[in-house]
Amino acid sequence: MTSLQSILSGGLQGYVLVALLLFLAGLGTVLGRRSILVQFMGVELMLNAANVALVAFARFRGGDVQGTVFYLFIIAVAACEAAVGLALVVGLYRHRQSTDTDRADALKQ
Amino acid sequence: MFLIFALLTLAGAVALAFQRNLVVAGLCLVLSFMGVAGLFLLLANPVAAALQIIVYSGAIVVLVLFVIMLLNEHQEEPAERSRPLQRWGSVVLLLALAGGAVRLATGSAALRKLEGAPLPEAMNLDRLGQALLNDHLLAFEVVGLLLLAAMVGAVALVKRDL
Repeated sequence: MTSLQSILSGGLQGYVLVALLLFLAGLGTVLGRRSILVQFMGVELMLNAANVALVAFARFRGGDVQGTVFYLFIIAVAACEAAVGLALVVGLYRHRQSTDTDRADALKQ
Repeated sequence: MFLIFALLTLAGAVALAFQRNLVVAGLCLVLSFMGVAGLFLLLANPVAAALQIIVYSGAIVVLVLFVIMLLNEHQEEPAERSRPLQRWGSVVLLLALAGGAVRLATGSAALRKLEGAPLPEAMNLDRLGQALLNDHLLAFEVVGLLLLAAMVGAVALVKRDL
């Protein structure tokens, strides 16, 4: 099977490619946007890209259960990150009346 | 089916990167997470798909949208000054990384070797629970503690006077 066929029909290469491109879309969001909330969403996309790769490798290694276990731990950590990260965003907004990261360029108000 | 879900995922992600309205950006994120859940179903892992929908497109997106509406920041502010060097630098960096990623994923012999694996038995909660509580009990408990710490930390950060 050629690699293009494998990608289009949902082989492992296709999933790895989707994971890589999803990661890059998240990275682009974090680098290119100024609103800290959108940057936060970009971080979630990057975490999801890791999950796609993890579950894909688990399936192509004969339905390994470890992949799902690690996925579970990753989403637990992502949920913690969401709670603490958004609390920090709210705290930042109280100090600066803005969620623009360009304005948050000094430690002191 | 794979192509539909993959395109759904990537379309949501790219739309998120270019969307000006923050609430719509949050909904693009839901689209992307749903696409990922579909990919998990195709990977014979309905447990991960269900968790993806419940935790990501449920809890996390609702939390983000809640904060967007709480702070009343529906639009991104216009830039105070333009930074052409950084902007084009990041575009070039991303394109180079994307090119490298495509080359790596399509040209890898190790990936091709795993390619022909037959579709395994679908993941079920029984197997997941056995693995979680037999082999990873300590990590499981630590994750519980971590969630508690995050909860307390979030309350402590947001509350004005404890």
